[in-house]
Amino acid sequence: MAAARSFPALAVLNRVILWAIFLTLAVICVYPMIWLFLNAFKTTNDMFAATWGLPKVWHWENFSTAWNYGISRYLLNSLVVTTATVVIELSLATMAAYALVVLNFRAKAAIYTLILGGAILPPEVSLIPLFRVMAETGLYNTYFALILPNVAFGLPFTTFLIRAYMTGIPGELREAALMDGAGEARIFREVYLPLCRPILASAGLISAMRVWNEFIFALTFVESESVKTVTIGVMSFAVALRADWGVLMAGLALSILPILATFLVMQRQFVGGLTSGAVK
Amino acid sequence: MKHLLAMTALATGILASLPGLAQDKTVVSFLHKFPEPENMAYFDAAVAEFEAANPAIDIVMESVADEPYKDKIRVLMASDQVPDIYFSWSGEFGRKFAREGRTLDLTEALAGPEWQGRFAAASLEPFQFEGKQFGIPVNVDSKYMIYNKAIFEKHGLAVPTTFADFIALNDALLAAGEVPIAYGNQSPWAATHYIGDLFAKMVPDDVRQADYQLLAPADQLYTHPGYVEALALYKSFGDKGYFNNGANAISHQQARGAFIAGRSAMVYLELVEFYMLADTPVAEQGWGFFPLPPMEGAAGRNDLLTGAPDGFLISAKTEHPQEALAFLNFITSPEQAAKYVSTTGMTSAVIGSVTEETTTPETLAGLKALEDAAGMALWLDTDMDTASANVILAAGQGLLSGDETPEAVMEKVRAAAKETLAQR
Amino acid sequence: MPDRSDHTQATWRQSLQGWLWVAPALLFLVVFVYGPALTNIRFSMFSFSAMSLDWDFVGLDNYLRLWNDPKFTTALTNNAIYAAISVTCQVGVALVLAAVLEARVFPNFSANLFRTALFLPSILPVVVVGLVWQLLLTPTTGLIDQILWETGLANWSKAWLGEPDTAIFAVIFVSQWQWTGYIMALFMVAIRAVPRDLYEAMEIDGASGVQQFWHITVPGVRETILIVTIITILGSLKVFDIVWVMTAGGPNHSSEVLGTMMYRAAFRDDMIGYSSTIATVIFFIALTIGLVQIKLQKDR
Repeated sequence: MAAARSFPALAVLNRVILWAIFLTLAVICVYPMIWLFLNAFKTTNDMFAATWGLPKVWHWENFSTAWNYGISRYLLNSLVVTTATVVIELSLATMAAYALVVLNFRAKAAIYTLILGGAILPPEVSLIPLFRVMAETGLYNTYFALILPNVAFGLPFTTFLIRAYMTGIPGELREAALMDGAGEARIFREVYLPLCRPILASAGLISAMRVWNEFIFALTFVESESVKTVTIGVMSFAVALRADWGVLMAGLALSILPILATFLVMQRQFVGGLTSGAVK
Repeated sequence: MKHLLAMTALATGILASLPGLAQDKTVVSFLHKFPEPENMAYFDAAVAEFEAANPAIDIVMESVADEPYKDKIRVLMASDQVPDIYFSWSGEFGRKFAREGRTLDLTEALAGPEWQGRFAAASLEPFQFEGKQFGIPVNVDSKYMIYNKAIFEKHGLAVPTTFADFIALNDALLAAGEVPIAYGNQSPWAATHYIGDLFAKMVPDDVRQADYQLLAPADQLYTHPGYVEALALYKSFGDKGYFNNGANAISHQQARGAFIAGRSAMVYLELVEFYMLADTPVAEQGWGFFPLPPMEGAAGRNDLLTGAPDGFLISAKTEHPQEALAFLNFITSPEQAAKYVSTTGMTSAVIGSVTEETTTPETLAGLKALEDAAGMALWLDTDMDTASANVILAAGQGLLSGDETPEAVMEKVRAAAKETLAQR
Repeated sequence: MPDRSDHTQATWRQSLQGWLWVAPALLFLVVFVYGPALTNIRFSMFSFSAMSLDWDFVGLDNYLRLWNDPKFTTALTNNAIYAAISVTCQVGVALVLAAVLEARVFPNFSANLFRTALFLPSILPVVVVGLVWQLLLTPTTGLIDQILWETGLANWSKAWLGEPDTAIFAVIFVSQWQWTGYIMALFMVAIRAVPRDLYEAMEIDGASGVQQFWHITVPGVRETILIVTIITILGSLKVFDIVWVMTAGGPNHSSEVLGTMMYRAAFRDDMIGYSSTIATVIFFIALTIGLVQIKLQKDR
């Protein structure tokens, strides 16, 4: 920075301002969650009396109350739905991506556009008709009511990511395998899939995050305690526990612990995956 | 590894979607709106007891909280997945189901010997449509202004006996620097409890009922000047500062919490919330209650208490009407009702269940006041037709924020009512 | 992007194989995404409620009603404001933040820390975000208000979510809080792909950081900027979750957006046909935006 070279003081000021800005932003981004966790240890009266202080007494039991109240079930449901969705979605997307990259077939460009086009449609547009389908097929209020639509709405982006990655795999590998007499299915399974592990991890993670936090389908398509996911369960939890704010905060905190933990551990895959698509 | 995960996930999903592995049991589905821990404790025990006494019946119970229940029940209706037994508010909310033929007619069943002497006429009537009984009351509820005795004593204030006194009381509190009424209208039903009460007082009863039930001729619907006056009165409460700041952004629960912490002189609560005031700071300071006082020279009725029963309906398409009725009979039996009252603090509609043994003196007094009243003015948002009620719901917030005027609101109500009438 | 397949026109027989591979994915999309979108159009021509089991055909009446509905104007305006602010914040501000972090102004450790911190809100479920911010924004007792009082800015204090003028802005603010860091991370990687020597060349010529930003960074990540803009606009169009949780469209419908209007029509107002009408409108707007994007990409 030329100006900085001629006026060292300016450079220092620049730096100080930048640090200040970023620190402020970081605090604004992180503090609400810290506030949530701190308040999870308070009783209702404490919360009203001094919201932003440290708890005087650390009420660990809030967490066990929240857990027993149903958070455990909601977390389980979210886990089932998310896992199933991601597995099915990755399977279908890799198959489609493979064909799009490697095989030759008519209307390929149109089909690819069709797949991508799904990303444009907002999920709520499908809400009412899907809802009736769920009702008529008896899928309403089951895990599949959430798994299936989530797979569908995740396919465009996932396919896009995987396909982009696959184009980076040298075609010679396939040609060599073909000459050895292998069929496409085998090449797919034994050559491409192993090589795709990184992108599968990233795409899977992104999908998982999306499905875990999914709201409108979870709100409309399921209703029983036994099937509700954590996003919606927490909402009814919030309304039910109108008297006990501390336990409510503890419940909310519990509900985000899994994602927080996963995120902190797997940051690189998260950000890496998200960005590999955008750069291309 | 991936395959294993996939298999597990799919298997779990399939297992989850299979209907309860069929044993030779009759399965009765039961949906209510009481997910709070106290209530669930009662219902879980009641279901267990009933199932023990009736081994051939399996009750599958679900609960959804108050506000989302209004969405959920419609979702279920639309998906034709109506539970065998489901909760409903009385008045128009319940009538809606009856009108569309979604409820079982209970008139004959309720005439049977095992139901005699359980409910007062005042609890049964709001669950009637075209002379037939479509629902069974389980709770009764009414609305009172709760006041902090310590604050009142500090400023030498007395419980008001007329509405004019009530207004003077609020002015005095304001002048003394107190927050007169804690009020949270983020969920807009809170406003309708005030507005509903004012409508009952300022509009002649027969006119009001004809309007709510759309029995009046189309061009006369909601034309009585009392409506506009009532809305203006409600608005004035906000304008003068009787309510706390930012009521539209505060939930009812937060407002109640503020009163409990001693930060306001009054709060408008339901009878079923009385038990929440036990063992709190305000309990130590002492609290009492009074209904919104009578208005001198008002066009409507001063002897109605704002409140309503709520209860359960049985689906018209249920395959197990006898079992459903048996279960409802069980939970409205005097013993069960007494347990209900003492475990949950709610006020059961079953006669004789609310006594000194089962509940606090304040709740008992509150219920007595309800029984002594000449009748109930039902919750406005469940008594008016949906479209008009929606206008009032939004207006409750709009009038406070200055976005709406009383005249404009009633215009919209008239338009909405006419449209609903045209569709009926 | 290298396409590994043969470019001659495939035969029907060859195509069959390809089609089989993509069929499952396509099936899902048709059944769950495209089919319903089209069904909506049919539904929108009827009037029926959740309760009643009979439908009245009303043709284009629902569309007329929507056109005349003042809530529709409010909702559309809110969606537009949402889009405008989101693009400014998420494309504009996020890009600048990303550029700064990538310019090695901070040591690696701090830069990573900042990136993680800013990214964090985007992984949280909307219900938690909504509830926590509702509490923070509560008048008087909420954190924000308390801060304003402590710093002497008491006149700025408002019932952010409770007043019609500010409700939607409060929600939009929370939405920016949640997503700006995510977009910033996206930009960071895009910037990383811009060759360093371009910067070095400019620096030797004596260009300032700002000039480098405008002349190298911005053009260098042009494609990402386009994609992010489109995603942000589409996101503003379909927003439902955060609004529903924080205000449910209130107070008095002032923060209504197309998504909440649609949900409410179906599940509170008992007007499913009308709800489908709104959904169809959203669909067509999204389609238009999508087509614009395709055209813009083709032109490059």
